[in-house]
Amino acid sequence: MQLRAIISVALVAAASAPAWADDAVDFTTVWYQEQRQGGQGGLTVVHPQLDIGADLGEKATLDIGYSADAVTGATATVYTVDAVSTATPFDDLRHEASLGLALHGKRSTFGIGGTAGMERDYLSLTISGSGSIDLPGRNTNIALSYTHNFDQTCDKDNADLGPLERRALTGFDACTKESYLVRGVDDATAMTVWHDLSIDTTQATVTQNLSPTSNVQLSLFGQVLNGFQSNPYRRVRVGPNEPQEHIPDIRARGAAAVRWNKFFPGVRGAVHASVRGYSDTWGVNGGTAELAWSQYAGSSLLLKVRARIHQQTPATFFKDAFFYETESAAGEYFTGDRELSPVRNIVVGGKMTLISVAEDDHEVWGLFDKLQLNLKADLYLLHELAADDPGANPAGRDRQFLSSGQALDAFVLGVGLLANY
Amino acid sequence: MALRFSSEMMLAVLCLALAACGRNAVRASEKEFLADQVMIFDDDGQEAAADEHISTNREGAAGGRGSTGGGCGCN
Repeated sequence: MQLRAIISVALVAAASAPAWADDAVDFTTVWYQEQRQGGQGGLTVVHPQLDIGADLGEKATLDIGYSADAVTGATATVYTVDAVSTATPFDDLRHEASLGLALHGKRSTFGIGGTAGMERDYLSLTISGSGSIDLPGRNTNIALSYTHNFDQTCDKDNADLGPLERRALTGFDACTKESYLVRGVDDATAMTVWHDLSIDTTQATVTQNLSPTSNVQLSLFGQVLNGFQSNPYRRVRVGPNEPQEHIPDIRARGAAAVRWNKFFPGVRGAVHASVRGYSDTWGVNGGTAELAWSQYAGSSLLLKVRARIHQQTPATFFKDAFFYETESAAGEYFTGDRELSPVRNIVVGGKMTLISVAEDDHEVWGLFDKLQLNLKADLYLLHELAADDPGANPAGRDRQFLSSGQALDAFVLGVGLLANY
Repeated sequence: MALRFSSEMMLAVLCLALAACGRNAVRASEKEFLADQVMIFDDDGQEAAADEHISTNREGAAGGRGSTGGGCGCN
């Protein structure tokens, strides 16, 4: 179940829509490895991504892309004070294809695009439009983008059941469209349905050159999600019951961010800083800060180091598992989703880029104008914070299966090749 | 009415400020360093996508990272 993964792709599509490639091929593979509590296994994600950009004459570019997520790991089937003992293995495979067309004016770009994503239990179709313009002087760029998702999630057919009676989907339930349409099956408990989820995302950015060596970007982001947003597999122990998690159908979220770059010609390096604030109607409020340094070494090596910290408050209906079990839910909603829990995440990492540029008439490898090899590594320190009074929680949060409980929770390794021709 | 007038005034001031910055901040001949790839926000689109992909799966407070661009203004 990669519901958030799909949403994130939509976010990225909306966020990066103004970037349209010239003739280029970009292939990256990312390996994400996470550990969890109790030695029950963690999470492994392999994410290959291929993007090809081609000029269509002087005024248009075409971009096509493909990516996949191969996910294996363990997940807690029930969010309880001892979720570790309920952890079971799972695997999933998601495919996504994208297509974009952009028209370029003298100082402006207009683009349209779409993506289609598919996995066993989630379908996603997005359409997007974007435009950007350089103001006179070409020191200010204003960009707007909009994306709409037509998504669908597979779920157990819980139509007539109340929140505390709803059954969770299992890996054995058929999620084919046919099983939904043909209801004459013998085992009624295996019946599944598909829920709609519509997502509207818009973003506005202003990028401004401040001086010959510095620029800044301001961005505003808004999104409204309307539809089924629960993880259909996740159950939560609420009192004596273990129903499927239940979260609101509507969520509105907004964020504002400022990013700043400053180049230092004397050392051929640049500092990058950013801050971001976030708030949504579920009560999640967060802040993110990032600081990075890029450094050229010689003519063909670029190094980058970065540190990022993020902290957020929990959704108003999120509780530590002990309190769902002993106090029940606060209202009709309950969840064990760690994205809705209070967390403080720290990321430190580095990246090395080897750059080869064609000189005179000698193209790189006889074919490319520019070739870049990227190698990156990030370390993730995920801190699970208390959502409720820790002094009143004798069961603690050590076995909720939301993080590893160790200093290093996850790492990312990536390798990529970008070729311009 | 006063509120509307105020909003329109603020919008006009913002547009004028942006236009002024756009014309005067940096001349075309001074954009060598702004054109460097390290000065382009999210110059590696796939890396930005992967980072957002991961953080969105770990954090509910996701989105609003910004967009690609900036630098030399030679869009």
